[in-house]
Amino acid sequence: MRDKTHTQQIERWARFVRDNPRKVWKGEQGPLIDSQISMANRFYSRLEKVLGGKEKIRRLRRLGKGPHVPPAST
Amino acid sequence: MKDKTVLDTFAMDFVRIAEKHAKYAIVSGFVAIAHGRSRGTEDVDIIIERISRSEFAKMHEDLEKNGFDCIQSSYPNELYEEYLSKGTGIRYVREGMHIPEMELRLSKDSLDDYQLETRKKLPFTGLGLYFSSIEMNIAFKEELLRSEKDMEDARHLRIVYEGKINEAEIEKIKRMIRRLRLR
Repeated sequence: MRDKTHTQQIERWARFVRDNPRKVWKGEQGPLIDSQISMANRFYSRLEKVLGGKEKIRRLRRLGKGPHVPPAST
Repeated sequence: MKDKTVLDTFAMDFVRIAEKHAKYAIVSGFVAIAHGRSRGTEDVDIIIERISRSEFAKMHEDLEKNGFDCIQSSYPNELYEEYLSKGTGIRYVREGMHIPEMELRLSKDSLDDYQLETRKKLPFTGLGLYFSSIEMNIAFKEELLRSEKDMEDARHLRIVYEGKINEAEIEKIKRMIRRLRLR
């Protein structure tokens, strides 16, 4: 369970988004979103190249999304 | 400053193809993120109307032609029979990429039909996409999904749309969720 300060931060940020033009909050949020995707892709690309990496990626995705991921096949 | 994130562009490029073939609504986490919620995600969720196998095959071929690969299979008949017709989502990525993914599923009940019927373009997002309504997203997150992340998404949307939310509509949708998804 996250503590009260975490909830306060969620609410503070939501008010900031509500009270400021899109270009202001997007300028702060956008780089965070983009870097998360970029870092994850770099990680998956590295993992893909190691022995058993492709299977690990499949397992990681299965853990995240359960039955949505197809059975492992080569 | 970039006006669109990688997720925004991915969703817009995907929808540009998909909307030629079926009515759609973007649902779940990306709705909150498109409203400024500051958190990561690896996928965008989209519901489309129930289309036939042959209609889906055309959509799938169009998506492949435009650089989207389906993770589960490249065979549309298999995707339709083994996944979509059983209510399971399928996942598309840009060719050669791992994420983001677009999780696509067919409308499976009257609640999904209602999501499509009440879909909206939400000017706050600056994206020209159809989303399920704010009330729908809050109801799903508070009544069905209920993880910490989902409750925070709902809280974020409630603050961003403070004073503009139809609470009666949220209650109506929550009743539908209890009747159709929580029995």
